[in-house]
Amino acid sequence: MIKRIFATGWTNFKRNSYLSFSAVGVMSIALILLVSLIGINLLSDKTIASLQEKVDVSVYFKLDANEEQIGALRSETESLAEVKSVEYISREQALEMFKERHKDDLLIQESLGELEDNPLQASLNVKAMEASQFSNIVKSIEGSKFSGTIDSINFFENEDVISRIQAFATNIRNWGVLIMLTLGLIAVLVTFNTIRLTIYNQRKEIEIMKLVGASNWQIRAPYIAEGTFYGLFAALISLAIIYPVLYTISDKIEAFTTSTNLFDYFVRYSYQIIPLVVIVGIALGVTSSFFAIRKHLKV
Amino acid sequence: MIKFDKVNKTYGDYIALEGVDLEIKDGEFISLVGPSGAGKSTLLRLLTREELPTKGGVLIDDLNVVEIPDDEVPMLRRKIGTVFQDFKLLTGKTAFENVAFALEVTGASEEEIAEDVPQLLQIVGLDKKFNNFPNEMSGGERQRLAIARALIHRPKIILADEPTGNLDMVNSYDIVKLLWKINELGTTIVLATHDREIVNTVGRRVVTIENGKIVRDQTESGRYII
Repeated sequence: MIKRIFATGWTNFKRNSYLSFSAVGVMSIALILLVSLIGINLLSDKTIASLQEKVDVSVYFKLDANEEQIGALRSETESLAEVKSVEYISREQALEMFKERHKDDLLIQESLGELEDNPLQASLNVKAMEASQFSNIVKSIEGSKFSGTIDSINFFENEDVISRIQAFATNIRNWGVLIMLTLGLIAVLVTFNTIRLTIYNQRKEIEIMKLVGASNWQIRAPYIAEGTFYGLFAALISLAIIYPVLYTISDKIEAFTTSTNLFDYFVRYSYQIIPLVVIVGIALGVTSSFFAIRKHLKV
Repeated sequence: MIKFDKVNKTYGDYIALEGVDLEIKDGEFISLVGPSGAGKSTLLRLLTREELPTKGGVLIDDLNVVEIPDDEVPMLRRKIGTVFQDFKLLTGKTAFENVAFALEVTGASEEEIAEDVPQLLQIVGLDKKFNNFPNEMSGGERQRLAIARALIHRPKIILADEPTGNLDMVNSYDIVKLLWKINELGTTIVLATHDREIVNTVGRRVVTIENGKIVRDQTESGRYII
């Protein structure tokens, strides 16, 4: 029974080659759209994450603060749930880094040579799990019993940048979802319409089948099988386009966004992405066929 | 047995059938004659439940066609073979597949199909056309194919609505001979036509319809008289 349904569906698929071609074409575009949206979403997530990675808060200590006090504050800060990492930079390290950064500037080198003492402060570089948690972290640090050793916290200088990155991130996610939904809906409607036209072309055949005594399911099943083939071929075609295209462009994208290599990601997760595309394709074909034929079954 | 019981059918203000009482016995060969638009086709379409009467009853054996639920309509249609002026073949299927389809819907096995379909195509003289599509066949061949399809599930009744309307004299005569042969094997034939030659060749029972009413019922060696 199932074998006969799929055999009939396959025969119809081959014989209506022109219609099958257009239906498969439209569905391939829909699926490519879907996958590129997944890609764009992923890319924006990773880019935002890497930007957030660069944001930190520096706690500068008074020159007379001793190592024990700084160490105690450090472990206190590290124990906070919102904190991702804490890096300690001693006065000596700060001086080395400063020298290294300005090694070509003779004036600064000479000025440093004339100083008897190291003018730079020790500091803790604190990174948060999420940019929105910085203000809480700063509050905890300020409330610590070692806060007397702190000279300044540069969060207040960074606050503007941090909140802007946050707003940008939320915007991209919200708009991304909205655009994804809209385009997805359009793609589904176009696919549905193409299949509807394909079936509309065969409305006479459907009428005849009913006159010969076919039940609704006997008529519907081969069309749904045909829809399965549309989806399957569309999925294979879109995958055959997506992977080579990603291979070519992902190096350029990587250079631009400095976040992640899309092609590597798609290869690594191909065991998820390929079944997803195939399942979405088949679901699209089957549901479109199902709804498109419904109208013609009333004879 | 087919029975029309005081059947009325109207489309808005237009009266297609009015007070039709008609009984057709098993194994009869009956010709329904009358000008185009007299109501012949409507009468046949009531039997296959393509139309419902506005008033009255339509019975096949003890089954009231008017009252059967929608999902049992396919069962009804599998018991009746239909042949049309425009053939109504599935253009996307070959001759073999057209006949096989009518058998598939009854739930027949692959073996039955492989056995019955070639046999029947041979009977109607299409043994060399198994893999041809309808548009690769002549009018006469298409109508013989349609008859093969109507016969495949061995129906008790064959409804033929102007089956010779698109055919020349020779092919028309072939079709009538085929229907005759089917009738001799015990199948009831209801032939709707306005072809005088055909009716006079057939003889048998002739029922004349005009303006939706039965005006004449010649039970023996009827003639086309208008």
